[in-house]
Amino acid sequence: MQSVTAIVVAHDGARWLKETLAALRRQTRPLDRVVGVDNGSRDGSGQLLAEAFGGANVLTMPRSTGFGEAVHEVLGRLPHDPRADEWVWLLHDDCAPDARALQTLLWAAEHAPEAAILGPKLLDWLDRRVLLEMGVTVSRSGMRETGLEPREYDQGQHDGEGLLDVLSVSTAGMLIRRDVWDQLSGLDPELPLFRDDLDLCWRARAMGHRVLNVPEAVAWHAEAAARRRRRLAVSDEHPRRLDRRNALLVIMANLPFGALIRSVFRNILGSLLRTVLFLVAKQPANALDEVVALGSIIGRPGRLRRARRRRRQGRKQGYPAVARLLTPPGAAFRRLADMVQSFVAGAGPVDSAGRHHAAAETDEDDGEDLLSDSGLMQRLFTSPGVLLCLALLAVTVAAERSLVYGGLLGGGSLVPITGGASDLWRLYTESHHVTGLGSDTWAPPYVALLALVSTVFLGKTWLAVSVLLLGCVPLAGISAYVATKKMISYTPARVWLAATYALLPVATGAIASGRLGTAIVFVLLPVYASLATRIVAGSRRAAWGFGLLLAVGTAFVPLLYVLVAVLGGLAAVSFAGVRRGVGVALAIGLGTPLVLLFPWLAGLVRDPGRILLESGLHDIALSDPGLGGENLLMLSPGGPGAPPVWVTAGLVAVALAALLVRRHQMVVAIGWGVMVFGVLVAIVVGRLTVHGVPAWPGVPLAFAATGLLVAAARPARWIGEFAAGGMLRRAAAALIVVVAFATPLAAAAMWIKSGAEDPLRRGVRDPMPLLAAVGSAKGQGTLVLRPRDGVVTYTVLRGSAPLIGESDLAAAEDASQRFGTAVAGLASGRGGTYARTLAQYGVQFVSVPGPVDATLHRTLDSEPALVRMSLSAGGGLWKLAQPAPAPPPPPGGDSAHRIWLWAQATLLLVVVILASPGARAAEAEEQYADVPLEEPRGRRRAGEDRVRV
Amino acid sequence: MKSLIENRFGLLVLVLVALGALYGVAYASRPAPAAHTPPKPVRALMESLTTVCPSPGGSRVSVVTPPGAQGQGSATVGEVTRVPAAGEDGSDGDAAKKDAQKKDAKKGAAEGNDEAAKPGKAAEPERLDQPGVLWQRDMKTGTAPLAVAGSGSMAAGLEATQTARLDAGTQRGLASVRCVEPGSDAWFIGPGPAAAAMTLYLTNADSAPANVEVMIYAGEGPVLSDRGSGMVLQPGEHRTVKLSDLAPSPLVMAVNVSTSGGRVAAGIKAVFGRDKGVDWLPAAAPPAKQVVIPGVPGVAGLRELYVTAPGEQDTVVQVKAVLKDGSYALKNKETVDVLAGSTSTFDLSTGIGGQPAALVLTADVPIVAGMKITGTGLSQDVAFTAGASPIDLGSVVADNRVARKLASRLVLSAPFAEATLKLQLVPKKGAAPEPVEVKVPAARTKEIKLTAPPGSESGFSVVLQPQPGSGPVYGGRALVEDTPGGQLITVQPLAPASIWALVPPTADSPSAVLP
Repeated sequence: MQSVTAIVVAHDGARWLKETLAALRRQTRPLDRVVGVDNGSRDGSGQLLAEAFGGANVLTMPRSTGFGEAVHEVLGRLPHDPRADEWVWLLHDDCAPDARALQTLLWAAEHAPEAAILGPKLLDWLDRRVLLEMGVTVSRSGMRETGLEPREYDQGQHDGEGLLDVLSVSTAGMLIRRDVWDQLSGLDPELPLFRDDLDLCWRARAMGHRVLNVPEAVAWHAEAAARRRRRLAVSDEHPRRLDRRNALLVIMANLPFGALIRSVFRNILGSLLRTVLFLVAKQPANALDEVVALGSIIGRPGRLRRARRRRRQGRKQGYPAVARLLTPPGAAFRRLADMVQSFVAGAGPVDSAGRHHAAAETDEDDGEDLLSDSGLMQRLFTSPGVLLCLALLAVTVAAERSLVYGGLLGGGSLVPITGGASDLWRLYTESHHVTGLGSDTWAPPYVALLALVSTVFLGKTWLAVSVLLLGCVPLAGISAYVATKKMISYTPARVWLAATYALLPVATGAIASGRLGTAIVFVLLPVYASLATRIVAGSRRAAWGFGLLLAVGTAFVPLLYVLVAVLGGLAAVSFAGVRRGVGVALAIGLGTPLVLLFPWLAGLVRDPGRILLESGLHDIALSDPGLGGENLLMLSPGGPGAPPVWVTAGLVAVALAALLVRRHQMVVAIGWGVMVFGVLVAIVVGRLTVHGVPAWPGVPLAFAATGLLVAAARPARWIGEFAAGGMLRRAAAALIVVVAFATPLAAAAMWIKSGAEDPLRRGVRDPMPLLAAVGSAKGQGTLVLRPRDGVVTYTVLRGSAPLIGESDLAAAEDASQRFGTAVAGLASGRGGTYARTLAQYGVQFVSVPGPVDATLHRTLDSEPALVRMSLSAGGGLWKLAQPAPAPPPPPGGDSAHRIWLWAQATLLLVVVILASPGARAAEAEEQYADVPLEEPRGRRRAGEDRVRV
Repeated sequence: MKSLIENRFGLLVLVLVALGALYGVAYASRPAPAAHTPPKPVRALMESLTTVCPSPGGSRVSVVTPPGAQGQGSATVGEVTRVPAAGEDGSDGDAAKKDAQKKDAKKGAAEGNDEAAKPGKAAEPERLDQPGVLWQRDMKTGTAPLAVAGSGSMAAGLEATQTARLDAGTQRGLASVRCVEPGSDAWFIGPGPAAAAMTLYLTNADSAPANVEVMIYAGEGPVLSDRGSGMVLQPGEHRTVKLSDLAPSPLVMAVNVSTSGGRVAAGIKAVFGRDKGVDWLPAAAPPAKQVVIPGVPGVAGLRELYVTAPGEQDTVVQVKAVLKDGSYALKNKETVDVLAGSTSTFDLSTGIGGQPAALVLTADVPIVAGMKITGTGLSQDVAFTAGASPIDLGSVVADNRVARKLASRLVLSAPFAEATLKLQLVPKKGAAPEPVEVKVPAARTKEIKLTAPPGSESGFSVVLQPQPGSGPVYGGRALVEDTPGGQLITVQPLAPASIWALVPPTADSPSAVLP
């Protein structure tokens, strides 16, 4: 005969306890014994218990007692009769069982004699039809899985054939065989709250017992502790952190050794990933909990070892039985995919609750995936944006046919791209550069940006630069198409705008002359425009994003900041009074680059001419100071790669026609205003010469073109209405469309015809001769002499070709003067001690790239201090007869530089967090403070948010 | 204003006006197209110079630096001898380096004359420190090659010559050769080992070993030696090579001495035998499509032209003589054919015999050319001249003599454009006479018989300086002595003096890494 002891543990639960006790009394199967435990309640729970069970049957414990401890205490006092079939029914104070619950559980126990633990179906306390749990499983990374959708109504859909084999059931309403309890030594007191049920059931499973959920038996559970409806006295820690820690502990304590090792790695990586995601989602509290939970497990190996020792028995043998019930491994990826999907859909990036999939639903899901896949493909290839991008890509590949693949990419203002991300990071962080004659200049910030992009491209700088520079046209097309989504609703107009923008002469010119900076700014410009419209609406987050991207653009092309600042000032004048917060947003947008790039910008202000130049090499041949007015008005910046002037005539004509449209006159006027401003700046910039190099008006003209395009595309919808008119009007509309599309088509055709190369080329010879690279010791230099137009240009390489930012580092004035004299002396062949001077700067080799000038080669041959190593059509190499000492680096580091780097990194991180999209501030904080990880209510709210957004 | 804004065309008109204004601004601010003038190289005095006299034994060595240079400076004349260095074996590069280091240390001790102290010296080197004064010394037989090294003011135009004169014997004749700067590439053209005893003198006066290659272009084509013609000269080492060992059969040949590493001073001496003459082959201009052979003196005798086309293509060479009264193509010798990789010889005695001349050879592939000049008389003597460079930056001839039967003739040619030169004599001692101006009309050759400054008949130097606006000038100096047995003759084509170096403009530019 079965005997059942019910144990009710109460802790500040008077709100629910009355109903719980009433439910106990209503049981159709009367209880043999009831015991109440009051864990130091202050709200009269103890009294309620005493009234219901009689004072003798109520045990009073201290406030800090955990659930498991309380049960142990009770069972310790109750003698166990080994002959009787004795059961223990555990109940929380906030868990009211249905009247037939115990009867059904016992019936199930009879039917399944090997079942040791049985649990009822748990429904929500308030909304009594909402399913909470029907057995719980866990993933190998500690995520709790109920297999239920959030807010799923109970319609018997999960009830199945009566009994469900599950990994674990909740302690709320858990019916457990007394001898099994004793055999397992019950709930682990180390886990006072959360996951103690999972741990117990896991151990039971490992010992070969069955754990069953009985859907016929029902209990209503308020989950008061988990939802923080009452204060926790057991632990001072936040429930979420406690839950995560216990989850990790249970997983690690119960897995056999092999699986444990895998789990440790998985959990460390997973935790770090989740921390990063939380940070990005601006949920720092979650991130902190995650890290602290992991740390408290790893930091206390003794506790883990003790827990594992206690669970040693049967762990390995029983694991296969458990493993079947754990969440399948694919679930983690599916959750990640869900998260990314919801992020793309505009929801908060991290759904802290995760999604709760049933362990056995895989097959169905697969089918759905396949279905949605085909839909996705179809959607992808009929989207005008994707088609536009593919078309631009095809045009780019056709035009850049000779640039796409081969040796080193270089020419124009681009040095041959060598080295990897780590070299760029080193260049950015070191305070003394050994390059050239040695420099103490701080590396310009764009080096860090390139290093970052290269890191993303697996450390391959050449790949990053190729994509950014050569892919400038399709990237600009995508960015223009996406950025104008809010501005221009008429898709054909957007397609036209994006195609025209991407193929502007500025883009082809930037590619041909290897202007990486302009290429990047060209891609970013539509994004600036799009963010600017949101700033004008007062968005703070858009302002941070704008500031961040403006800093990126400014690092490459400082002139950009001046242009934006002027327009920003105008916008402040016209909008700041109109909308609240615009002034602050503008200040954020314009102030962020100043802060992020501060020391470098200060250097620029000291030498204002450099504002007009951009990153990379400066060559006279790359721009045309005598550019005609017609070129500038037609948005052609001159220099290599510029198409014929008439290519953009269609764009200008259409934009002029747009002036006649009555609607959207404001936008058209602003667009033309930007155009006139941009061209004016372009004229001024194009006439100036900085350090002997004429400036290139590419970026101002890109600015002008952006204004013009918006002015032309905004009223485009009118074309459709116009065409609906008479014959004459239809012809006029057709003419306008033809003229408009003539620009991108002609630009593409001319670009493909002339090719994108020259002076940018693939297969540039590595300037560092192999023989010299092999022969020179660390720090020794190679002097490269290249006579060009009667001038012997020279540079010093230290063991390898220069990195992409090294040309912007300045050497000490006196050293470079002395070195220049020595080079001139060497190239003149007048004898003397010039070679020795060179050697003092660590120069060991003199390289003359081919074709070698005959005079220079004879001169170098006649220099007694030089020994010729090789001479061919490819170039000549001479070695100094005496070994040159490598110049020692200056002692000590530049602490100011280090401090600034840290400060810059911190500032950058802050701005990135402020700028990245995430849950909205006020609501989010409340929600995350209240709700632990897998709390269904929180899920619901998150779901609502998602819908609303 | 309001009506303008409300008018449909108002905005258009405004924009057009703005665009017009922009065009105006752009038009007005357009800079005049600046003529791109590449910066000119700057002339600067030489700072140090080393020349090597290949075999001064039994010769008179003359060393001079033209007057005018200011400041400190000195020159040394000393024998090139090999320094036995510990651990030195073969062409081991490390040993050579050590060598160099040792010498460097030594150099530091003997501060001031860095070049001269480099190779070890058997005897204490002679030290000269006065520009504008000719130094002459008769060397004992068996003297090793001499390194003449100048620095500072003594380097600008330092010139040295060795001249031997023998009245009798197998080496009867005047034989002189300019001491040359060590280099990596030298060309010689003249008779082959089958016609005369040809000896190649190689000297490495540097601190690095020299890998020397000798290539011979004979009448039948390039001589491919099966024994290999490469050799390594250690620092300070000198060597004589009998060319008959490398190629015994050629009657005529061109020799290319080149180094694949290091530098070498090379000279070739041709000895035809008793009463047939002796002389050194002057260094010829490297292969070029146009070659000027200057310095043919106006004395009677045979004139034999040598032309080599070292490339892989046969060629037709146009020959023009620049004479006293004009420039002509020679009758029946308007063009000569030269086979690829081979040396040909042509007798031009009937064309230019007895006249001071220069020859201008033009071909469509690079060629090397030279000439043999034979003196008259029963006992003959020969002299050689070869293709030379114009003396744009001036030229110095160290050793000139005038005696009763001995004449120094300066033969100057301006084959392309008129030229004016300043001619200055530098005596052995005493004040230098005033310079005189010499005009050479276009396409003419002028022969000047030099008169010695008083008291310096036994030796004086000549400094030639083309004046601005002159066309290219080529020239040579012939010493002709009439003896009872026959004329003694030697010719030295004028070489550009190393007074000036052209310092090119330089620019520190990271874009030097890009083509």
